[in-house]
Amino acid sequence: MICIQDLSFTYKNGTEPALREVSLTLPDGDFLGVIGPAGAGKTTLTRAIAGMIPHHYTGDYYGSVTVNGLDTVETPLDQISRLVGTVFQDVESQIISPVVEDEMLYGLENFGVPRAEIPRRLEEALGMVGIADLRERSIASLSGGQRQKVAIASILALKPQILVLDEPTGELDPRSSRQIFTLLRKLNEEQGITVIIVEQKIMLLCEFARHLAVLNEGRVMRQGEVREVLAHAEDLEAAGVNCPRVTTYSRALSARLGERQPVCVDLDEAEALTRRLMK
Amino acid sequence: MITLEHVSFSYANGQPSVKDVSFHLPKGEFAAILGPNGAGKTTTVRLVDGLLQPAEGRVMIDGSDLRESRVSDRARKVGFLFQNPDRQICKNTVREEILFGLRTVRPDLSEEALQARAEETLADFSFTGKEEPFSLSRGQRQRVALASILAVEPEVLILDEPTTGLDYRECCHIMDRIRKMNEEKQVTILMVCHDMEVVLDYARQALVMADGRLLACGPIRDIFRDTALMEQASVLPPQMIGLGLRLGGTFLEADTPDAMADALIASLRKGGTEK
Amino acid sequence: MNNLFEYVPGNSFIHRLNPITKLLLTVVICVAAFVTDRLPVLLGLLAVNLLFGLIAGVAGRTWNILRGLLKIAVFLFLLQALLYRGGNPVFWIITDQGLLTAGKVVLRLVVVCMPLTLALAVTRISDLTNALTQVLHVPYPYAFTLAATIRFIPQFVEEMNGIMEAQTARGIPFDTARGLKKFSMIVPLCAPLLISSVRKTDQTAAAAEVRGFRLRTRDSAYKRYPFSAGDFAVFACCAAILAGAILL
Repeated sequence: MICIQDLSFTYKNGTEPALREVSLTLPDGDFLGVIGPAGAGKTTLTRAIAGMIPHHYTGDYYGSVTVNGLDTVETPLDQISRLVGTVFQDVESQIISPVVEDEMLYGLENFGVPRAEIPRRLEEALGMVGIADLRERSIASLSGGQRQKVAIASILALKPQILVLDEPTGELDPRSSRQIFTLLRKLNEEQGITVIIVEQKIMLLCEFARHLAVLNEGRVMRQGEVREVLAHAEDLEAAGVNCPRVTTYSRALSARLGERQPVCVDLDEAEALTRRLMK
Repeated sequence: MITLEHVSFSYANGQPSVKDVSFHLPKGEFAAILGPNGAGKTTTVRLVDGLLQPAEGRVMIDGSDLRESRVSDRARKVGFLFQNPDRQICKNTVREEILFGLRTVRPDLSEEALQARAEETLADFSFTGKEEPFSLSRGQRQRVALASILAVEPEVLILDEPTTGLDYRECCHIMDRIRKMNEEKQVTILMVCHDMEVVLDYARQALVMADGRLLACGPIRDIFRDTALMEQASVLPPQMIGLGLRLGGTFLEADTPDAMADALIASLRKGGTEK
Repeated sequence: MNNLFEYVPGNSFIHRLNPITKLLLTVVICVAAFVTDRLPVLLGLLAVNLLFGLIAGVAGRTWNILRGLLKIAVFLFLLQALLYRGGNPVFWIITDQGLLTAGKVVLRLVVVCMPLTLALAVTRISDLTNALTQVLHVPYPYAFTLAATIRFIPQFVEEMNGIMEAQTARGIPFDTARGLKKFSMIVPLCAPLLISSVRKTDQTAAAAEVRGFRLRTRDSAYKRYPFSAGDFAVFACCAAILAGAILL
């Protein structure tokens, strides 16, 4: 369980707080999508959960973050990192080894995974992301999308209980983005891993996430189940966050028919709603 | 304005290649290239800008073969907005950045003319000119990059995933500005974009690529409604097009949420009168 | 430039050598080149280098290194040959002694530059850092700095190419300018490069930290680096090279 209470944070060289009195509670096994305009504090939030704030990035810190009961300020970063795996927004700077296999080994070795278990973990993680064939390749020879997958696999190999991903599909096309989300859902459902994902692709979030948190100017302006949050589409749009077209469609219907229609979050729902109304 | 004739190109290091691609875009067209990663989209736009030389075939801009001029000389005519604005921005203020681009491409203009043009562009983008690009957000930096390209008044604008990493509002800012250039000044636009909703909202023509080949070229809505083609290029059509395809009938024509809602209301009315 | 430092996968005799052995061979060749002052020995060392590349199956890379060194080698040769005083004139102000000295300087340069580049081509950086910490007991943070620097080179080159492309597209003639004109392009190239580099370094440090950088010890590495018969054979070669350079 992750519990964030009244968290405010200003980076050491920052003038404005990046987060303002943020409170969020995530039960184990949740799948939370985080969305919001640029500069809303999304990346800062992921850093706070992963313990990089305040251990790596220092500044004015108020409030508290606890991960599985451990206070991230008091717990050493290494201990938090065993629980929380992080995929960075800038994949280029996350990868520290020149060869895929070494990148996969790095965390496994450091966290003292038993030698006998390492080969299996490595193969499993590569297989899950679908890049087993890239194992011997040098990072320099990979495309942006392939590098993104390597970064994700190297974190999965560590088997974290909580997975924090900061725009992990930025370099990927729609098909590969979907693959990543499908994989995350599988990990979430089958292994109970808590997933926190920052993403601009609202349609994917609506389809895969259970809860949504909308950030704006360092505050959480909405949080709740996807459908609840989408019901306040006007607020979201005022903050610069769009909704899926199907949601806009169900709103347009509500306006035209003069009665409130259910909020649609995906194509199936929109189709069902239309057919029901036509009867 | 842009013509490719049997263009082929392949990299030595295995980056996506382009095989026998031909198309023609008239002046004032707004086209998008669709297709999965590795289809050769970025390679194609690089070929169009002359950053790459075709191994076979030829690329023509406004009737002249690209091989006859250098990229740097063509910058006056062809603007290129990259995914990452930080590779272009190199000056301390937005004004200097815009002036830098202008001076490079238009050494023929007087200092007053350059200043006037920079001023016009700044006002157009609501910059004061004193902003420091590197302390702006990613979306704002992309706008700086776009401003310094548009200040030159190119006739062709190439966009390689210009909205990646931007939030919705920033994405609209950039795309609205590009649409304005297209409509008011007849600038020909060729873009690569992974967001199909953006493509549907802004582009009129679509080029579909897979494995380095051009599969199809046509009006954007016809392309999106070609289910077999979309499957082949692993493109998921925009939601409203997808909904229209599922519902069929009059819904097929609707491509926005409002149009879709209107179609439903119309069919209800029609159903009502028939009863 | 980009591929000069990239690892070339393979399973040759040299690939399988202990990274420390390869490092030792590199050092020995360099030391030998500085100890000796005889042309035949330098030629012999060059032959050792070429053999090194050939056995490792990286003939292409070896050729690229030589080609890369060509310009500076020619420049140095001319400089030495023109400035050397003494000996019998051969042509204009150039003397036989001058030619000999110039030849030696250039050969020494080539001989010294080759082995490290070759060793890096056939050694994974992670193997090098692991072996440095395991076998030579180098503190891990130092070994990591070395690894991060070498990993950074292709990234840096990639970024540089990207920036040059972007600046060319907006009209800065990176593709055609020569000589002094290129100086005026330093700002459009270096400003973005510097800013992206600083940003990256900080994030790379964070990325290493959240994956247990501080927990790593000498024994963390999955792979082990014992010396094999091949390594001892190369040690013997090293001794022979040194002895040859000193005695001959």
